[in-house]
Amino acid sequence: MKVEEIDVDEQIGEVGQILSEAEKKKGILIHVLQKIQEDNGYLPGDVLSNLSKKLYFPLSEIYSVASFYKQFHFKPRGKKIVKICMGTACYVRGAKEILNTVEERFNVKAGETTEDLAVTLETVGCIGCCGLAPVATVNDEVKGEISSKKLDRLIKFIKEE
Amino acid sequence: MEKTVKLTIDGKEVQSPEGMNLMDAAELAGIHIPNLCYLKGMKGIGACRLCLIEIEGLKAPMIACNTKVREGMVVNTKTEKVQEIRKFIIDLILSMHPLDCMTCTKAGICNLQKYAYEFDLKESSFTRKKFGYPVDEANPFIKRDPDYCILCGRCVRVCKEQGTNVLEFMGRGIGSKIVTANDKPLQESECTFCGSCVDSCPVNALLEADRWRKGREWEYERINSVCLLCGNGCEITVSTKDGRVQKISSGAPAGSAEKYICAYGRFGFDCIEAETRLTSPMKKIDGELRGTTWEDALKIVADELKKAGKDAGFISAAGILNEDALTLKKLARDVVKTRNFDTTVSLYADSDSLKKSQRADIDRSDLIFLLGLNPSQWERVLPALDAAVRRRINRGAKLVVINSSETRIADVATVSLKGDEISNIKGIIKVAIEKGLKADKKLESSVKDIESTEEIEKASALFIEAKQPIIFSSPALFEAASNLSLLKGKKVIAIPLESNARGVVLMGLTTEGKTYREMLTDKMKALYVVGEVPLNKRPDTDFLIVQNSHLTGLAREADVVLPSATFLESAGTITDFMGRMKYLPEVIEPQGESKSHRDIFILLAKIMGSTIKRPTEAEVKKASNIKVKLSPVPFVKKEGLDISPQEMIESINASVINGSRLLWLKETEKTIAV
Ligand code: SF4
Ligand code: SF4
Ligand code: SF4
Ligand code: FES
Repeated sequence: MKVEEIDVDEQIGEVGQILSEAEKKKGILIHVLQKIQEDNGYLPGDVLSNLSKKLYFPLSEIYSVASFYKQFHFKPRGKKIVKICMGTACYVRGAKEILNTVEERFNVKAGETTEDLAVTLETVGCIGCCGLAPVATVNDEVKGEISSKKLDRLIKFIKEE
Repeated sequence: MEKTVKLTIDGKEVQSPEGMNLMDAAELAGIHIPNLCYLKGMKGIGACRLCLIEIEGLKAPMIACNTKVREGMVVNTKTEKVQEIRKFIIDLILSMHPLDCMTCTKAGICNLQKYAYEFDLKESSFTRKKFGYPVDEANPFIKRDPDYCILCGRCVRVCKEQGTNVLEFMGRGIGSKIVTANDKPLQESECTFCGSCVDSCPVNALLEADRWRKGREWEYERINSVCLLCGNGCEITVSTKDGRVQKISSGAPAGSAEKYICAYGRFGFDCIEAETRLTSPMKKIDGELRGTTWEDALKIVADELKKAGKDAGFISAAGILNEDALTLKKLARDVVKTRNFDTTVSLYADSDSLKKSQRADIDRSDLIFLLGLNPSQWERVLPALDAAVRRRINRGAKLVVINSSETRIADVATVSLKGDEISNIKGIIKVAIEKGLKADKKLESSVKDIESTEEIEKASALFIEAKQPIIFSSPALFEAASNLSLLKGKKVIAIPLESNARGVVLMGLTTEGKTYREMLTDKMKALYVVGEVPLNKRPDTDFLIVQNSHLTGLAREADVVLPSATFLESAGTITDFMGRMKYLPEVIEPQGESKSHRDIFILLAKIMGSTIKRPTEAEVKKASNIKVKLSPVPFVKKEGLDISPQEMIESINASVINGSRLLWLKETEKTIAV
């Protein structure tokens, strides 16, 4: 999405008829942020700056809104997004150890991305398959019952192109 | 008359204006309701819940900051139930607070400290949590220490309402933090270092950067005065200790965001003790300025003025006080006997527009016109006007900007008219008359040839609808503005660039001989320059006297330099652009041997064998008391008043900027701009 070409009325749709100009701009914000993230994988600073100018919407407020949601990212993300579940079931079945090992092997802390942008490591609450605990996802593919043997396989899988 | 309602608060019968919230109504009755997030003058947001009160007939407690008074309401602000809730809230906040009162700079004015004391909480009963956030102290103005922040959001709201939009909440829940866009240091954001956020912060999370061990709040004496550094003439509160200024805040009472001051007004005071500050008279010997006594310096000046007589010229800045202006005029006209006395006002305004400007309350206006004006907080051109207008817009007023040049404030205008200002105003008047507003025949015929556009129609429609429009105009366009105002009999105000422009004009300090510009080029026998004027090079004159608080570029080229007091060191009055008389006390004593302008004039007159009496308040009031009536006038844009406001304001404040931490700001802006 080209920020410069955003058409506020088109984005907001029919509901725009009963909204003020300022409300419309507020209304499309999250939607536009999602598109920007889809295109770039994250929310680049210069794009947000342009968006602020285009909508006459304070940059500080754009960051504020985006930072409220976990789905938005302000830094480039890795090719492989690894999420380790820290929900209760996974936790008691050794999630912490899995996390430590992945952190060590890739030299990255939870919530960060490796310098070569290969891996982003995150922890999540519960992904809803406690029966398979401990669980991790790699680019949304679920890997369950991670024993120490399977852990090596998981790491290999992450390393694969 | 405003409607009032009767209600009972804590057993007391209270009358309050309709529509007021319970917080303000209680305050009016002398009852304080605890609060942390409320800011008087802004809508309550109910973030802290400290202001919970009980209303008879309602089960759950309500927030006082956002509940309006109603006839017959019975309110209890100190029931056991709400006191318990309040204590619990403070207890929770304390669990995440440094509890550092023994050395904390805000101790004494910190609201958290106050309530902890009130609710008998020595420490938190919960497990303490420490965040260890980094401190932002990369600028010399404002220190941000997020570990103290209680997330009340006051700073966010003041900054947003005045249109700077720098601070915001980042993240959510307990991990929230107040940051700039993308968490940059302040100087890399849109921050203007006005410090509104500092005044609004109830704790030590935002404070003046230089305050560490500069005295405790309870040791300060607080004195109300006025900033004279630009045409806005903002009210300030000066805190002093040991005869020195320690900090300056906006003139609003604590916990209120009703007044704004800019970085000049708040941080410019360093210049009082700057290296360039003049503390004794000087005279030129062999091309070099050397210190001398008052007696010697004044004797030389008196002789030169006598010699020059009617060929002497006086030029003055318009940031001097009314009393100084009256005395200066007497010295020039009655003692030296010259008709050449003028001020910098003649560079940007005519006397008429200043005298005819009316008084209005911007906080009640529903439509604001900015005609030929380009106020900007970022460029520090009439920043308080910019802030006031933006705040008003954020509270629902509409804005029409009419300017042939680009302005930043047009971004927030409902209608922005570019192109020739006079034609645009004529267009608005024409459409308004067509739509039924009554006008004088002459006025009607003078606008009939104008073609209107869709935008002009919009502006005109806004004007017709508005109940309380205010028209702010540059002095050069005042005639056109006043014609527009006549259609509705509403307020029109010319905005000058210096604080006492209207005052000096009323005091009669407008030339009866040569003008300011003529005196610079006409080779005066003696030229006497008072205050800081936009002049760096010595004009062609036989003898140059500079009377100023600082050694400016011009002073360096003078034959005699007389050290004057700054506006914080001299008592008197100004008359602001709306004709309001404002009082300035002597906040601190003049540095060294410097004296107030008027004292110097009086001494000088004495040496010249005349007596000038110290002007009295009655004399100032009499000179201010003029009756003016607006009537239709020809539409003209006055020529010769087009000095760049930004350059003018910067150059009359050169000593303030160069002699204070404001210099850092200018240099940082330069490097960022590159
Ligand atoms: S100093 Fe002024 S502009 Fe800067 S953050 Fe504070 S309120 Fe906003
Ligand atoms: S910095 Fe101060 S004013 Fe701003 S939210 Fe924190 S405590 Fe409130
Ligand atoms: S806006 Fe002008 S008068 Fe007000 S504080 Fe700033 S310099 Fe002083
Ligand atoms: S003052 Fe009412 S909720 Fe904070």
